Parts: sequence; structure tokens; C-alpha cells
Amino acid sequence: MHVLVVDDQALNRTLLRYMLEQEGYGVSEACDGQQALTEFDNCSPDIILLDVVMPVMDGYEVAPLLKAKSQDVYLPIIFITALEDQASLLKCLQVGGDDFLNKPFDQVILSAKIKAHSRTRELSIKSYEQNRQLAYHQLQTEREHELVEHIFDNALKERFAIPESIEFHMSPASMFNGDLFLTAPSRSGGLYLMLGDFTGHGLAAAIGALPASKVFYTMANKGLSVGDIAAELNTVLCELLPGNMFCAANILEISSSGRAISAWLGGLPDSYLLTPCGEVEAVLTSQHMALGILESYEFERDTRYIETSSENRLLLYTDGVVEAENAQNEYFGEQRLLDILKSTHYKNLESIVDAVNTFSGAADQQDDLSLVLIKCAPLDLPATHSKRFSSTPIKIKLSLNAKLLRDSDPVLEFINTISAVEGVEQHRSNLFLLLSEMYNNALDHGVLGLESSMKDSEDGFIEYYEKREQLLRELSSGSIDMMAEFEPEQSQIRFKIKDSGQGFAAVKKADADMFHGRGISLMKEIASSVRYNEKGNQLEVVYNLLDS
Amino acid sequence: MSLTKSMSSDGKLFTIEIKGKFDFNLVQAFRSAYTEIGDSSPKVIVDLRETDYMDSSALGMLLNMKKSLGDSVSGIQIANCRPQIKKILQISRFDKKFDID
Repeated sequence: MHVLVVDDQALNRTLLRYMLEQEGYGVSEACDGQQALTEFDNCSPDIILLDVVMPVMDGYEVAPLLKAKSQDVYLPIIFITALEDQASLLKCLQVGGDDFLNKPFDQVILSAKIKAHSRTRELSIKSYEQNRQLAYHQLQTEREHELVEHIFDNALKERFAIPESIEFHMSPASMFNGDLFLTAPSRSGGLYLMLGDFTGHGLAAAIGALPASKVFYTMANKGLSVGDIAAELNTVLCELLPGNMFCAANILEISSSGRAISAWLGGLPDSYLLTPCGEVEAVLTSQHMALGILESYEFERDTRYIETSSENRLLLYTDGVVEAENAQNEYFGEQRLLDILKSTHYKNLESIVDAVNTFSGAADQQDDLSLVLIKCAPLDLPATHSKRFSSTPIKIKLSLNAKLLRDSDPVLEFINTISAVEGVEQHRSNLFLLLSEMYNNALDHGVLGLESSMKDSEDGFIEYYEKREQLLRELSSGSIDMMAEFEPEQSQIRFKIKDSGQGFAAVKKADADMFHGRGISLMKEIASSVRYNEKGNQLEVVYNLLDS
Repeated sequence: MSLTKSMSSDGKLFTIEIKGKFDFNLVQAFRSAYTEIGDSSPKVIVDLRETDYMDSSALGMLLNMKKSLGDSVSGIQIANCRPQIKKILQISRFDKKFDID
């Protein structure tokens, strides 16, 4: 502890210095207020002993200035005074003095007072230091939260616009949401949707959302069934989450018509299928344990299928809604929720949240609260694929002799090769269909001489393919040449196929019909042109990449 | 290319899933899948979620199934088709004969 003694009388200063140094304090001196300010900066005193009456600047004047120099930490100022009138003493306190020391000085009193004020000073320094650390940690936490929030936002942000037929509302109980709502388009023009609720709330609960969302988007992109998506999520969450944490979830796939829904239901409250007037048509009760509990071998993928009409709606929600409590410790409950949906006041999901908040009154929101309402109407999702095509003309040719015809099934491989051309990939199903029809016609009818009419009965159908297998096994001569050409200027693909057969022109009229079966009419619908040569053993099909 | 089949625990739903390529290579497997269907007259779902390709032989197989099962099942649904597969079914007017979703 360092004491600054401010007195214009050298004798007093010497006396005080002597007494203080005996007690082990460091001492600096100043002979008036002005000097005290300078000395303060030099020695940063912990306590100031201040005379009242001094030349240049007196004690009353300098006291508030000294206090101002030590705003963060308590700086005790003890006035040294011979004055005894009430007004002077009062003024000492008003200008910021904390105590008095009467002249002549008493060693015991001085020592006791200095000790008392030192303690307060020390306490103040300690609390200042703690505040500083607290502020530092708070700032650091805020920075970390910002960072985490950024990551969450990026991981969970909507990859595409949610269709209008789906309404959702989420109110987290704290900055981070332990509830999770994800959507992704399915390959058949429908929509995958997941509503999840991790154990607890806040950052600890929200952390599971990162791996969960990644798995969900990846699996949805692969076009897996909801049961398979659930199984994959379960495996990942089992691996990552601590034993006491899991994720109750409903995972749904809605067809593009909106009328067919498959659902894996694990641990969330009942979902409701509602008629237009809000009556419950079906209850979807959870069938499984939450994700992240069962080992992979125990996990069940069973899925519920729901078929409904486009006027109906499906309501999903997390337990934060029905378990909201009021001051009387009553739950909001399913009935109140259903009553609102039935009532004429119902406008949107926010009106439910308002009702929940009104119900719980002043009580803090205890848990994250999420609702999703799906209108079972057609989704009408925008197509996602690009229209960019390669500008390089590419031609692929393949000649198959009898041995190759016997041993290979070249259609898919051929299609994979041509699909590698930029922009062609998304047409591969159609291209497969065309080439498969062409190849099978050439092989079955041209090379093997099979007759389509065989396929008219069910047994004949099987027989046909058995016969085909047998003929193919025994095949010793014959050939098929096929060619695919990507024509960038016309944005089209031209297929040509030629077989070693005699062509349908040479066979009886009745058998010529075999070329006009289901296969050929399909080709004509999908391709922009389908042309046989006169002999009937060569077929040329053009597919326009800009169609469909 | 593969085919898996399963019956729901209540015997009301029989699902055939076809992955990859749906063509004549599956003729035998497809037929034996539905001949084992039993007499609980379930609803049959042909799940084409993971079917990337099909051709007219697949259409023939589906028609044969319908003919063969007739009234012994409570309906046949072709489910989860990708857009191009769905289009092939529509072009072939299968939406008149099957419940396609």
C-alpha cells in the first residue's frame, strides 16, 4: 500500500511519513493540491491523506479531482483537519472525503484507519479485476456464439424455397434452437421433411443439429426412403451424442401430388391429419424410439403410409407446445391445440404460438417450441437441373459380334458413356429406354428371330425370355452395330443401330407387327424421330435434349 | 439392379422395391416375388424410388402382375417414381390401370 500525504506544513508531512513508514507503508508527499495531482500520476497511491487549508489549491478543490482520477477502483481520501465545526466536516464529505484524521495525530487511530481503508481498497481492486475478467469472458463467449451462430445458419439454411403449402413456426427458448426443421426436394418432385427435437434446449441441444442436418441433406439427395434416412441419422447420432442425449423426430416424404405421405415417426408427440374444418381425421402416433438411442441392429425402419385428399392438412409439433405450463403448473395440452385449429379465430401458426404464450403468461418459455402445418396439396416444386450442354460433338460406336452379344449387356454401359457429356446426364433414363428398346428389338427379333406375339400371355411372357436366354447361349453368328452421336448444334443425340437379321420387310406381315408393340410407341413418344430403313434391319432414333 | 420384397407385420401391405435397372433381367425374380403373396389380400406397392431405368419389358412385367393377381389383392400402387420414370408410365397410359403416385 502506498500513501500520498498532502499538507503544506513540512512538519506534519515528516511526522506522518515517519508514522506510516513504521507501519510498513510506502509514502509520497505533496505540499498543495496542485502538486498532489502531479504526484498522484507519479506514485499511483492507494490512500490519500489530505489537508484542508493549503495555498494554490486547497483540499476541498482537489478532492473531487483526485477521486475522478480513480473511477474504476475505490480511492480512500482521509482529510487531515484541526477543524471541528459541523459545516466544514460536512463539506469534507460532500467533496468526496471518506474519513477524517484529527490533528494532532494519534498513531493508533491513524494506523487503524489506514488499515480499514486499505481493506476496502483491496476489496475494490479485487472486484474490479474480477469484473474485468468477467467482461473479457463475456466478450469471448459472445464472439464464440457469433461464430457458432454463423456455422448453424450456414448448415441449416434453406437450400431451396419451401413450398407455400407448408407453413412452419419455431420459437427457441434461448439463442440456440434444440428443435430442428429441415426440408429437401425428393427426386420424384416431392419433398422430404424432418422435424426434430433434441434433448434439452440451448447450445447443448442445438449442437446435434449440425451432423443431423448434414446426414439428412445427403440422404435426401440420394433419394433414400424415410426409414433408411432415419436409420442413417440414428447411426450417426449414436456415434456422436453422449448417452443421455437423443433426438425425437418425424421424418416425412410427401409426394409431388401432396396426397401421399410416408412417415417415420420416432418420439415426437402425436401428429394430426386434419380435415378442412379442423376435425382430426387420423392420429399419427410415434412408432419408434427417438434417434440416437438404439444400436443399428435394433433399429426399426417401419414406415407409416398415409393417403389423403388435397383439402386436408397435417400438423406436426414438438413437446414445447403441449408442455407449456401456466402459473398453476397446468400443461397447455393437445386439446387446447386442437381447439384453436378448429376455432374460427385460427389464422396461422403464429396464432397458436400467441395462444401458448398467453396461456403460460409471465412464466418464461421453458422449451423450444415448433409447429409445422402441411397442406396436402400438389407441391409444384421448380425443376432444378441445368440446361448447359457441351459444345463438343462426340460419337461413340460399338460393334458386337456373336460372342459379345452372348456375354455382355452393353446398353447401360453405353448410356453411361454418352451421359458423361455435359448436360446429358439428366436424360439418362430416357436415353436408356430408347437404346434398350432398340437393342432388344435388334437382338430379339433381328438376330435371334423371336416373335413378339409369344409375349401375349403371362406364361408366354416368361417363356419368351427363357427362349431368348437359350437362343442367346447357343448363338454362333450375327452382329449388332450401334452408334450414339451427340450433336451440340441441334442439342440432340442420334442413335443408330443395325442388326445382321433379314429385317422385318422380309418377314410375314403379321410378324411385322412385333415392331409396333408397346416398345415402339413408347419410343415415338419420347424421341423426336424414329426411322427404320427400308429393309427393316436398321433403326435411327433422334432424341432432343431440349424437350422435357 | 436388385429386387427386395417385404410384407408389413399386419399383412396389409406388400412392398416390392426395385433398385437400379428395371428390365427383362428381373423377369423371374419379379414374378416369383408376387406369386408368394399369400391370401391376406394385401395392397401391393411397387416402390420405384431407387429405380433409375426401365424399358417396355418392365411395363410388360407390371401388366402381367396385374393380370395374375387380379382381385386377390386390394390394389396395386406404383410409388415414388422419379419424374422420368413417371413420364414413361404416363406415356404408356399406365395411370389408367395403376394407382401411380
